[in-house]
Amino acid sequence: MQINTDRLAPRAAYLLVAVGAVVMLLPFYFMFVFASHSRTEIFNLPPPLFFGSDFLLNLDILTTKIPFWRSLGWSLYVALASTGLTLLFCSMGGYAFAMFEFRFKQPLFLLVMGTMLLPSFLGMIPSFMIMDAFGWIDQPRALYIPGAASAFGIFMMRQFVTSSIPRDLIEAARMDGCGELGIYWRIVVPLLKPAMGTLGLITFIASWNNFIGPLIVMRSPEMYTLPLALRSMQSPVNTEWGAVMAGSAIATLPLLVLFAISSRRLIDGLTAGAVK
Amino acid sequence: MAHAPIGNWLAASLLLAGSAFFNAQAQQTLTIAAFPAVDEIAKAAIPAWNKKHPDVEIKITSRAYADHHTAMTTALSTSSNLPDVMVVEYGYVGRFAEGGGLEDLAGAPYNMKAQQARFVPFAWKQGTASSGAQVAIPTDIGPGTLLYRTDIMKKAGVTEAELTQSWESYVGAGTKIKTVTGAYLVAHARDIKDIIIRSNLQAGDGLYIDKTGKVLVDSPRFVRAFELSKKVRDQKLDGKIGAWSNEWSEGFKRGTIATQMSGAWLAGHLNNWLAPETKGQWRAAQLPEKAWASWGGSFYSIPKGAKNKALAAEFISMMTLTPELQLAAFKSQDAFPALLETHGDAFFEQPISFLADQKARLLWRDAARKISAVDVHKLDPIADEIVNTELDKVLDQGKDIRTALADAKALIERRVKR
Amino acid sequence: MTRLPRLSPEAVPYVLISPFVVLFLVFGVFPLGFSFFLAFQSWEPTAGLASMKFVGLDNFAFAITDEWFWKSLKNTAWLAVASGVPQHVVAIPLAYFIHTSFKRTRNGVIGAYFLPYITSTVAIAMMFSTLFSTDFGLINVGLQALGSVPGLGWLAPAAPIDWLGRAENVKPAIAMVVFWRYVGFNTVLYLAALQTIPNDIYEAATMDGAGRWQQFWFITLPSLQPMIYFGVTLSVIGGLQLFEEPFILTGGRGGTDQTGMTTAMYMYRTAFEFNDFGGASALSWLLFVFVALLTWLTNRAFKPRGPAR
Repeated sequence: MQINTDRLAPRAAYLLVAVGAVVMLLPFYFMFVFASHSRTEIFNLPPPLFFGSDFLLNLDILTTKIPFWRSLGWSLYVALASTGLTLLFCSMGGYAFAMFEFRFKQPLFLLVMGTMLLPSFLGMIPSFMIMDAFGWIDQPRALYIPGAASAFGIFMMRQFVTSSIPRDLIEAARMDGCGELGIYWRIVVPLLKPAMGTLGLITFIASWNNFIGPLIVMRSPEMYTLPLALRSMQSPVNTEWGAVMAGSAIATLPLLVLFAISSRRLIDGLTAGAVK
Repeated sequence: MAHAPIGNWLAASLLLAGSAFFNAQAQQTLTIAAFPAVDEIAKAAIPAWNKKHPDVEIKITSRAYADHHTAMTTALSTSSNLPDVMVVEYGYVGRFAEGGGLEDLAGAPYNMKAQQARFVPFAWKQGTASSGAQVAIPTDIGPGTLLYRTDIMKKAGVTEAELTQSWESYVGAGTKIKTVTGAYLVAHARDIKDIIIRSNLQAGDGLYIDKTGKVLVDSPRFVRAFELSKKVRDQKLDGKIGAWSNEWSEGFKRGTIATQMSGAWLAGHLNNWLAPETKGQWRAAQLPEKAWASWGGSFYSIPKGAKNKALAAEFISMMTLTPELQLAAFKSQDAFPALLETHGDAFFEQPISFLADQKARLLWRDAARKISAVDVHKLDPIADEIVNTELDKVLDQGKDIRTALADAKALIERRVKR
Repeated sequence: MTRLPRLSPEAVPYVLISPFVVLFLVFGVFPLGFSFFLAFQSWEPTAGLASMKFVGLDNFAFAITDEWFWKSLKNTAWLAVASGVPQHVVAIPLAYFIHTSFKRTRNGVIGAYFLPYITSTVAIAMMFSTLFSTDFGLINVGLQALGSVPGLGWLAPAAPIDWLGRAENVKPAIAMVVFWRYVGFNTVLYLAALQTIPNDIYEAATMDGAGRWQQFWFITLPSLQPMIYFGVTLSVIGGLQLFEEPFILTGGRGGTDQTGMTTAMYMYRTAFEFNDFGGASALSWLLFVFVALLTWLTNRAFKPRGPAR
């Protein structure tokens, strides 16, 4: 009997992908497992492989030591604002860079790319100076407004516009009498849906996990976002690791939900992009 | 349907009067920036503070240890948004002191110099900048101790005297332990180097670099430290385990680490979560060869840019000079008091059950007095890193000790010259 | 809906770009300028702003003759390549495979690969120090288990690998974590790009007799070029700036003999541990030169030529 290699290759591919998925998920699984164990158990070798019974205890420690739910709320607020602003400003900017010629276009783009090349922590002290000068210390707007000028976002949007929006479409719309801003709003934005979904997701995640920004700007524990609040539980010698893991695990849940929602958009994007 | 306008007017005026009344109480705020567990200690002291100053509210900003010092560096760099009271840990107090951003508490109006004798000597000195300014007041210290497993020692036939008589005998004991029980003497060979280079320093000596800028890493103290570390590694007496890792905690649980040199507070952690089942199998001793060293310690300071300096000074005095508060911190957070008069308290005589009812606090109190302050140089962190890297090369790659130390010296000198 | 104001095609790009530019000038350019200025100063931050001293090119001269700087550059380059190349080599076929072969379970599969990206660094530090543990860490256990699988036995190492302790293992360990973290991210990017390729092109090609592999090579890959350019540029920039993963895996110290110390980490330590902000800024600008150079090279290699389709 001949081995059907035509069927074997896809099967092997499925297997590889499945194994890969398991490997990807493993550390994540452990985070949730550790969230349900006491810290003594976490530091065992071999570490616990299955869920334990300490989740509620960890949750209790977590909510006593830090204003956990409040920090979650702040994280949510800042991330949503940041995502909304970034999507708007970067799609506008990316469209402009991709489709138009204007003065300073090249140097400006180079400058924007230039900021991507510097690590964020070097900007800590000058950022602090700016926030202080504006009186934005301890205010959430200091977290979501600067990020909207995301070099990454504009770069990504420019690439997407270049690759998925044909010039003739824009020209045709112009000839039909559609105003420039109308073209942006009614033609470009809908076509950018997969990109918006992706950039929105990435921006939300970056804002959610950002701790350097809040570290510089926030002075009161009631204003902390999640990463800062969770880190503030870590003492050099006496951290409640179970509670920290529980907090980290819960902190990932909104991101999971968001991902589930936005990946649907990515699929909608399939039909939108295919229809011309 | 109209509300009587008089009703509105009455409500408004009551509100106005009421707020005026409350404002007259003038809610002042004292901001304290800290990290765990000093934040808990400060929080616990709030009732005592409110008795003296009911109109001053205390606001504590707590961040993780490294984050806190990063935030404080940032605030000091721009002299803005500084807290009134800044908690600084041992590892950072040297640099913050030299930076000049902290208030001198020695003379008027604080007059803390008059209180110097009430504090453990080395801790007080640690808070003194090279200019002589007293910029930080110690609140807790970490006197160094040697914790060892009595069951392993018994099995290997090693006495405490053998462990502590000299470094050579300590290493010799390690060989015996390894042969008979298979347990490691120390978690990492580097730990031995760390203590030896810090022992037998006279007050005023530098650790890596002395006052004149001469680099000291090729001195006999370093050579001996490197040689003993190498011996430990060559004889496989160390587990190559980093502190606070899973292997470290597991090493305690399984009894594969026979001794650990650390601050006295480690006993509490072993009991609480690291290895609670090993209760009763440990004992504390002074460090070998009468080495006196400290691990950590917290200080209170007032930034020059603080707003409420007088109140801040009062808070600091309260936290550091009130025996009840110092002892309360000791009992709840295992923060060894820097205030000498507390050392006579009955709490020190209490047996510690984890250490098989040893009255270890007496040991530690003795050690505290004998520790000498090491002069801090601003290049210490990088010198530490350079020396550690060279030690790694000696231990892992068999590099010759003299060459390694000479290389380290060259690297450090490069930086001193800048 | 209110009518949008009518703008001429000449004016509109300025309007579109203005919110971004305003924010960028305030929050992007100032820190950039400040750090450039700082590279020529000697500054110990806790002494306050007034204590800055002008030292000209001294910081740069010191960095260029500093053996740790060059060591960190080598580490960074190795890590950038070792973690970056597999990311894309795996992500492109993976995205294509998911795009074509998974319909109902697509979300689940993508989710699994994307999950590492959303995990916070605290959790990652904890997880991987457990997983990389020498005697009981799952990675070593898994490798030993491979030894019992027939045919794969040669993969199993002779003894448990000390990942984070021995100098030669630290870099592969870090590369593995970086790969784990970002391969899903790149897959999502490529998947999004794949969805902009219209189906009719594939249908036409199938009718012309082109096989799956040929379609992939001649249709998919060229259409993906803008996204590849984007993704590779990001990986180059991100790889050369690698900081978080090495930092948390080596506990902030760079590992034995500093094999895990990247230039970004050396920069961070220079600034916040050795309190030399001027030196750190100089290092960052030197690194900038390298990154700019490599980005330019990437540009030449991958940039799509000609107008959009």
